[in-house]
Amino acid sequence: MVSRVIIGCLLCTCALFQVGPSRAQELSTTVLPDPELTIGAAIDQLIGERLARAGLEPAPLAGELNLLRRTTLDLAGRIPTAREAREYLESNAPDKRRELIEQLLGSPEFVAHQVNLLDALLMQSRRSSLRDYLERAVTENRSWDRMFREMIVGEPGDGEQSGAIQFLRSRISDIDRLTNDVSVIFFGVNISCAQCHDHPLVHDWTQDHFFGMKAFFYRSFENGGFVGEREYGELEYKTVAGESRKAGLMFLSGSRLPESEVAEPSEDQRKQEKAQLEELKKQKQPPPTASYSRKARLVDVGLESENATYFARAIVNRIWQRLIGRGLVHPVDQLHRGNPASHPELLDWLARDLMHHGYDLRRLIGGIVSSDTYARSGIWESASRPPAELHAVAILRPLLPQQYAASLALAAFDPEQLNSPDAPKKIQARVQFSRGFADWFELPGDEFQVGSEESLLLSNSDRAARELFADGNETLVARLRACSDIASAVDLAGWNVLNRPLADAERRILTEYLQQRQDRLAEGYRQMVWAMMTSAECRFNY
Amino acid sequence: MTGIRSISRRRFLGTGALGSAAALTTRGLEQVLAAEAHRQGKHVILLWLAGGASQLETWDPKPGRPTGGPFQAISTNVPGIQISELMPRMARHLQHTAIIRSLNTKDGDHGGASRLMHLGRRDEPTVKFPDLGAIIARELGRTDSQVPDYVSFYTATEGRGTSLGQSGFLGARYNAMSLTQEQLPANLRRLEQISEIDHRARGELRDTLSDQFMRGRESAAAASQREAYQRVPGLMASEKLFDPSGEPLSMRALYGETLFGQQTLVARRLVEAGVPFVKVSRAWWDSHGQNFETHLELVSELDQVLDALLTDLQQRGLLERTLVITLSEFGRTPAINASLGRDHFATVWSCSLSGCGILGGSVYGKSDDDGNDVAESPVAAGELFATIFQAMGIDHRKEYALGARPVPLTNPGSEPIKAVLA
Repeated sequence: MVSRVIIGCLLCTCALFQVGPSRAQELSTTVLPDPELTIGAAIDQLIGERLARAGLEPAPLAGELNLLRRTTLDLAGRIPTAREAREYLESNAPDKRRELIEQLLGSPEFVAHQVNLLDALLMQSRRSSLRDYLERAVTENRSWDRMFREMIVGEPGDGEQSGAIQFLRSRISDIDRLTNDVSVIFFGVNISCAQCHDHPLVHDWTQDHFFGMKAFFYRSFENGGFVGEREYGELEYKTVAGESRKAGLMFLSGSRLPESEVAEPSEDQRKQEKAQLEELKKQKQPPPTASYSRKARLVDVGLESENATYFARAIVNRIWQRLIGRGLVHPVDQLHRGNPASHPELLDWLARDLMHHGYDLRRLIGGIVSSDTYARSGIWESASRPPAELHAVAILRPLLPQQYAASLALAAFDPEQLNSPDAPKKIQARVQFSRGFADWFELPGDEFQVGSEESLLLSNSDRAARELFADGNETLVARLRACSDIASAVDLAGWNVLNRPLADAERRILTEYLQQRQDRLAEGYRQMVWAMMTSAECRFNY
Repeated sequence: MTGIRSISRRRFLGTGALGSAAALTTRGLEQVLAAEAHRQGKHVILLWLAGGASQLETWDPKPGRPTGGPFQAISTNVPGIQISELMPRMARHLQHTAIIRSLNTKDGDHGGASRLMHLGRRDEPTVKFPDLGAIIARELGRTDSQVPDYVSFYTATEGRGTSLGQSGFLGARYNAMSLTQEQLPANLRRLEQISEIDHRARGELRDTLSDQFMRGRESAAAASQREAYQRVPGLMASEKLFDPSGEPLSMRALYGETLFGQQTLVARRLVEAGVPFVKVSRAWWDSHGQNFETHLELVSELDQVLDALLTDLQQRGLLERTLVITLSEFGRTPAINASLGRDHFATVWSCSLSGCGILGGSVYGKSDDDGNDVAESPVAAGELFATIFQAMGIDHRKEYALGARPVPLTNPGSEPIKAVLA
């Protein structure tokens, strides 16, 4: 153990300079806006106050169809169909935006999309087995704190370890990584640097924090692919000065958890335990559970009032980043004093609101997408664009692999097929079908760049040509060919791929393109559809 | 577009936000541009000897010692430097070559060691580091390049997960264009259903629509998408580079009619056309049994390929701008096991650097008499990488900003080996 830490230390690349502490990490001392406000109102008030201080007028609200596309992508994970777009535009319902949000939040598509997102967050590139659990949990809208507990401690009655505990089970062979993953995912704190030395950039995080957190998992172990936990075992580590230290339980906030001393087992007891575990391994049974569980204590302490602010802020910040395009704290794994939030009161208000409403993520998501801040246009007319963190103007967001794949699959689909009562089923089937090529695209992180692998694939791969730009049954291209004239085909393509009526300039360019291909019009349509589907507009959520 | 302008577009108008701002504040614009111009037109060819080549049968023979095995050492064209008799042709190129005989990298597991020698540092749980090829692609590649930045011929044997190129946090823009057995990278060839003219026109239509959409918007990611599509015609045109049949038969024969030989010939074609980084893998060197037969075959092939490549590069005036590296994940044990094999050994082993930026005819570090330990000047992965960057005119201390965290090209404390640098 000790030698491993030393080796890790030599290789750690953290730059060795320090940044002084700035503002306090505790919930801000300034008075937060009324807890009774709606989420949207609180967001707009606090974002608006900072804009006013900066003397900035935010961009106007985005157009109806722009918002329809944005919201459908965020809540259902796909673009709206041509029909949905037309109907939304034509609807005179006074409250249609709110109705849209409610309808989407209640749809099975919301569940599927949310499962995709949570799976990407929780399982990263692991071959996931958490999807079944997530599907159950999101369908029931289980609270985030409950999900956290279930992923760390296990669901009651899940002796097979086939449910939420897979989160832990898939990481159990590397406790260091597990410790950091839990800190990053649930608390927004990346303490990997502190493994080797006190964090060079962040006063908040010392070696004690890393090993204090690791101690919660130190007694957990793998046996035959299952997770077990012992009731003894003390973690020791070496400081940079070479001093040997015992790591007691300590949460990220610095709260230490006293424990009564446990005697180490005798040689005989160890042998006995080993034999028992071997036997269980043979029988493919999980090890017995500990009557005193350290990892359960982590969940308890992490959800205690003061500490829970970490937990709540971390998920609020992630959801904000996903829906708005930039974390209130950026990057999202750097929630600490040296890296203050762009809008600390807003982060705290939203965290408090989440805690007071039972960690209901669906409510939080619905609240954010109902705000004017979410609904701003992404176009900034005048010369200097304000910094993204002011949220004066919407941020262009790359689609996630599943979002882009599902959107392409729908864009390429014959719109007539969706005029029947079973349209929802057909949409679902298309989205399902698109899963087969979601892995063509990279999961975007900060500083995401599209590579030439993607452009070459969509340009030249036989499979993409067959599945997205083909001219057969139930395809957009076939429907375009059936149009009476080029003008109506162009319009239809605009609705189907870009979910809006085309501007005159676009209509002119596309018509001209097709007129030049009168002798091979079917080819022309395929090329037009390709150009729309690979355009920036289709690739991003704007 | 001239080189400098392409640089300034990329560095200062910001499709790649990483690192550039830092460069600007600490050094003057002119200095940055001068450094950039200096790096232009440089290349790296990495000959990756997957599975672990034996230092004793290549760069660090121990004839007459209990660990020496059956092969002798021969003199080279640089007085005082001897290499294995399995490399008689390479012995004529030592004036361009530095040998490092004291790599001590501590990891004897194929997976971990291979990652270590691709990344120049150990994996960290939460950081996806870019590998050597991706960093070279980013530092030496040009935004408006008509050719790939990073091409990797890997072999199925070496394992996709460990040795396949990784652009890490630099993003998909710097992913390797990877090839195994097939001759051509995927999706370079136009489908028959679309004519060349329409293919191009379709791309222009795409750009026009996107440009309209981007009015009043701003996004580095969208700029990178535009760039990715704009590179398509150039990348497709580079298809011919992958076909060695355009070379005279004598040239093909020089490299040898083996897959490794022909891929290395393609590597030369690629760098000549401006590709900054090409990796060619040869597997499988993992000679736990019959070490000497294996090395007789593989080293002889390597000897022919290296000879051909260095001669060819030199004749084309490319050697002074191209660094040729031979490297493995580790070396092999001096002890010879019961199957006449040598096992994994990371304690003291060798690699070679030839051409660009290298002090030819140099040997750095020393193993002890039987090759069991480093006798002088141990070299870690980070130092080797710092040396490679330095040879290419890249400051190894340069930092990328990963969120709030600055990540230098090599881990702090890894200094280049000045003794092998020109």
